[in-house]
Amino acid sequence: MTDPRPAEPVHGDPDGDPLATRPAVADRRFPRSVYGAGEEPDPRFSLANERTFLAWIRTALALTAGGVALEALGLGLHPQLRLTAAILLIVSGVATSLQAWLGWTRTERALRLARPLPAPATALPLAVVLLVVGVCIVLAILLA
Amino acid sequence: MTRDPDRSGELFDPGLQPERTALAWLRTALVLTVGSLVGLRVLPHYWGPVGLVVAGAGALASVALIGLTVRRYRLTHRRLTAAGGRIGRLPDGRLPALLAGLTLAAALVAAALVIWVALS
Repeated sequence: MTDPRPAEPVHGDPDGDPLATRPAVADRRFPRSVYGAGEEPDPRFSLANERTFLAWIRTALALTAGGVALEALGLGLHPQLRLTAAILLIVSGVATSLQAWLGWTRTERALRLARPLPAPATALPLAVVLLVVGVCIVLAILLA
Repeated sequence: MTRDPDRSGELFDPGLQPERTALAWLRTALVLTVGSLVGLRVLPHYWGPVGLVVAGAGALASVALIGLTVRRYRLTHRRLTAAGGRIGRLPDGRLPALLAGLTLAAALVAAALVIWVALS
């Protein structure tokens, strides 16, 4: 089993210590908040970070689609409760898409600086909101 | 001095991480494309020509995303298997930012649609 070759370290913080060595070719990748400092992590960690980002995006799309379907299909459910559930689902979709981006940037930065990885901030609020959505839907069925 | 062999036909990682990541991108782009095609069906029904424009823009963007995804994988693979053993820099956050922006836009359009449907 071959080991992947280690990436060439990018030294120095372009905005910081003047004694730090500058990289041979400046790293001008977007966003600066991620690539402005630190070293190239093992590419497999970066790729895993990307897959996590994509999973959050798919979650956001599923939540959004669920909200639209709930309202568009009607299904004879109690109107206000159904609307509440639909709005909560779509708001969750918005929050999850933000979490996807913020999680990617923060994790990539932590990988570059060899710091502990951040926990997903929206995971617990999301679970709570989905619980509320579930209760709304059950009530919407019972009170149809 | 011997030339370094062309490694582009080799795998970088026996765990196939670049390939798995490319597939994850395609899965996500596919979900977005299907969603925008459904939007192409639904939005003009409620919003007429405006709905067609919005849904059409979303459909075009999601199809473009598939192309950009393939390009990202090729770039990643080339840089990871570069001759000389020095790994190049992986692609940056522009495509993730674009995808996150499209997803956010889809959610905002969905919110507007749901409120519209509820009020009418």
